[in-house]
Amino acid sequence: MNENVYILENLKQSSPIIQLAWCLSGIFFVIITMLIMYLKYLRNHLRENEKIETKYQEEYETHLITYLYAGNDDDTLSLEQQSIINELKTCIVDPFKRKIVVSTLLKLRNEISGEIAESIDKLYIELGLLSYSLAKLRNKKWDIIAIGIRELTQFKVKGVHKVVMNNINHPKKEVRKEMQLYLIHLFSFKGLNFLNVLETSLSEWDQIQLLEVLQVANNTEIADIRPWLKSSNDSVVIFSLKLAKVYNQFEAKEELIELLDSKSENVRVNTIAALSHLNIIEAKNILKTNFAERSHEEQIAFLKMMENVYESSDKAFLLEHMQHKNFEIKLLVMEILKNINFEEYPFYESEFQKSLIA
Amino acid sequence: MGNSKKIVLAEDNSVLSLLLKFRLEKEGYELLIAIDGKQAIELIEEHKPELILTDIMMPFVSGLEVISHVRNKLNLQTPIIVFSSAGQEEIVLKAFDLGATDFMSKPLSPHELVIRVKRLLI
Amino acid sequence: MNTSTVEIIMLIIHYFFLVFSVIAISSYSILAVISAIETIEYMKKNSFVNYKEILSSTFSPSISIIAPAYNESLNIVENVRSLLSSHYVNYDVIIVNDGSKDDSLSKLIEAYDLIQISYHINEQIKTKQLRKGIYKSTNPAFDKLTVVDKENGGKADALNMGLNISKNKYVACIDVDCLLLEDALQKMIKPFLETTDARVIAAGGVIRIANSCIVKDGKLLDINFPKTWLEQGQILEYLRAFLLGRMAWSRLNGLLVISGAFGLFDKKIAITVGGYDTNTVGEDMEIIVRMRRHMEDEKQKYKVAYIPDPLCWTEAPDNYKTFISQRNRWTRGTIETLKKHNKIGFNPKYNCLGLISYPYWFFFERMAPIIEVAGIIYFGILTVLNEVRWDYTFAFVILAYLFSVLFSIVAIVSEELTYHQYKKKSIGFKLVMIAFLEPFVNHPYILYSAIKGNIDYYFYKKIEWGDMTRKGMTKA
Repeated sequence: MNENVYILENLKQSSPIIQLAWCLSGIFFVIITMLIMYLKYLRNHLRENEKIETKYQEEYETHLITYLYAGNDDDTLSLEQQSIINELKTCIVDPFKRKIVVSTLLKLRNEISGEIAESIDKLYIELGLLSYSLAKLRNKKWDIIAIGIRELTQFKVKGVHKVVMNNINHPKKEVRKEMQLYLIHLFSFKGLNFLNVLETSLSEWDQIQLLEVLQVANNTEIADIRPWLKSSNDSVVIFSLKLAKVYNQFEAKEELIELLDSKSENVRVNTIAALSHLNIIEAKNILKTNFAERSHEEQIAFLKMMENVYESSDKAFLLEHMQHKNFEIKLLVMEILKNINFEEYPFYESEFQKSLIA
Repeated sequence: MGNSKKIVLAEDNSVLSLLLKFRLEKEGYELLIAIDGKQAIELIEEHKPELILTDIMMPFVSGLEVISHVRNKLNLQTPIIVFSSAGQEEIVLKAFDLGATDFMSKPLSPHELVIRVKRLLI
Repeated sequence: MNTSTVEIIMLIIHYFFLVFSVIAISSYSILAVISAIETIEYMKKNSFVNYKEILSSTFSPSISIIAPAYNESLNIVENVRSLLSSHYVNYDVIIVNDGSKDDSLSKLIEAYDLIQISYHINEQIKTKQLRKGIYKSTNPAFDKLTVVDKENGGKADALNMGLNISKNKYVACIDVDCLLLEDALQKMIKPFLETTDARVIAAGGVIRIANSCIVKDGKLLDINFPKTWLEQGQILEYLRAFLLGRMAWSRLNGLLVISGAFGLFDKKIAITVGGYDTNTVGEDMEIIVRMRRHMEDEKQKYKVAYIPDPLCWTEAPDNYKTFISQRNRWTRGTIETLKKHNKIGFNPKYNCLGLISYPYWFFFERMAPIIEVAGIIYFGILTVLNEVRWDYTFAFVILAYLFSVLFSIVAIVSEELTYHQYKKKSIGFKLVMIAFLEPFVNHPYILYSAIKGNIDYYFYKKIEWGDMTRKGMTKA
């Protein structure tokens, strides 16, 4: 005891800087102790949660499968189904269990189609999960809103699109993206109307997602892409060029050719690729005449187009560009020349090989 | 049901494989479930099934390798149906190159699957 | 000299050490806070991303994985299998056999049914010549694979060969012995695709330590905690660096280094700046600095992204000899890079790069070990002269120690709150233990190798080829 007092006395008399150092050390020590205790709690908690989660998950999976195969032939619920619904309903009151129920439903929902998929959607409504998803849309946190929209998308809840649309101008791009995906998932091409008014840039990531969703939808009724090709938003134009490719939009030929003179290089390159995919021969002649004025990227895109639509009359044009200073272009020219397969080709090939070594 | 036809199903989504197992067992087949390609190969070697259903994207050994193993290493002509996600045309083509018999794209309809299985196992 | 001058000099020295420590501690703390904010944001954004759609799309951009290999015969076949099993669709794998003296090539040929093909290489970056040539597989299951056999030229040269050969828009440069998780590519490509207001020139990933983990057929089956203090200490060190450091730098857009073990690059820019520098042992840091400098000079908006998910696992040194030589190399790499690009340091023209990143690296990575050793020597002199004020010494040594422990513990807590990779019981206790022990067991060696690196750099200037250049600086 005496010693402690002595140390304290000593500390009082030492310089303020030492006092500060000891003081900080004390604080650090307390924080470290608290963090270590927290860590212990956290690790146990996580481990327990994981165990419980797998347990519940297995339980719900079995429930789900039994439910799906216990149906009556008419559309009514069988007794067994009703009892599973009741059982699950008691579970979803607890947020932790609810999350697992939803994820179990989704785990299957995302992989299948047809009747069974529909009965999962029905089960989602029966269980009253819809109101929880809708409650998420009213949350203040943007990530909760996004998750809510995602759930509505995955369970194909069409009826609430007005509520979802409220987020069209949400400040967070993640929320806007979820909303776009909701529209496309459920309304396919009709959902693309948001492109008319889109002012922000549609990132490549967004574009890929939208295209993939459209493809899964398998809808034969394709929207008219022409207005979007004229959009002042370059990213919308590029996205529509991709649509033109995937859905073979020959109708948009004139709009496409006009885009060859777009201000954006990126748009021009993508236009050439789309024209090439659609085999629009007029474009070839246009591009051939002003080849030299175009950027390397465009030239490469054009030569890739030519690979599919070359004619022997292109020989002169190709020979002219055999000595192009860009390697990739040179290589493409040689490839096409090889395919045209005329008598003198071996001679040019050996010339080319020499130029490679040089 | 001692001589019911055996089917190996390789699928990493546990609910989906449970669903398909129930459905196909109802039709009188015997189902062996693998959660990855490696297990699938082991089951195939051990049980010599009449039909193989495999997902393409799986942990450890992909569906493509399962096909390749069955056709080239085991030299078996067992019919194989592959599941692929929509838009994976390239991979599906590769699967056919390697000797797949049929393919179904995900999300898949269990009803349609039963029809295809029946057709292959007459 | 009279006593008062000595006293003044001593006072200046004392204040120098004090100010340095205070700035160091505050910048570590600030970085940790920024990291925490950024990590929370990242977790929120990615909690509901559906990576499936990007996977299968034919519109997803093409990526080449470039993996240089030098005398890797032992594991090469397995390692390549792991690289081939990525879930991304549009990618290929280029293995550059950098003049290996073992049977790596014949093993690959046999395992993957390779045959030699003819290929026009677009030699945009000068490299060493091909040796046996370029190989592709005849088995369609492996058609993503290309194997290049070239003369030995070191890791940077091998990567450059890969850059020349790749026809894809993006390249992932990795160590061949790295274990890449199957969803690594789609997670890494995301920032390139979703950023619309700047050009993403590169993205770096987290490196995790695979020692003692169970790996089979190129897949990570079970995560374990290694036994030795050295390995445990490195795990802690990596956790601190990746969870509390890099995340903040990416937020500030000031990331100066991407681990050579795993990084994704915009190929066009990597080639425009001339590829990897073959004259440094720190080629992975150097190329990022050069690419950034290029973008700053061109006045283009750009970003170096960072993905905190544990996507890449690699073996860390398990003995002090390898550990020291690895850290020695990192030190030299850092010195070389900072020296080569000293023009950007403290230069307002280079914005955050010149005013924050460079100075930080210069003082707290480059100079810190030297200052620390200087401090120890000074303390030694004072002891001999019997001038030590022990009350000060105790107060500050304990303060510094507790801060370093606290910092490590915060890193461990962040790991538990985010990725929680070390799930097994008792690892928690070991992690806390090593947080207390690390300053004694690993730190002296790190200090020693940093000093040795400085000495080697200034007195034995030489470039090491072969074995030593095999591993880049998987800088933590």
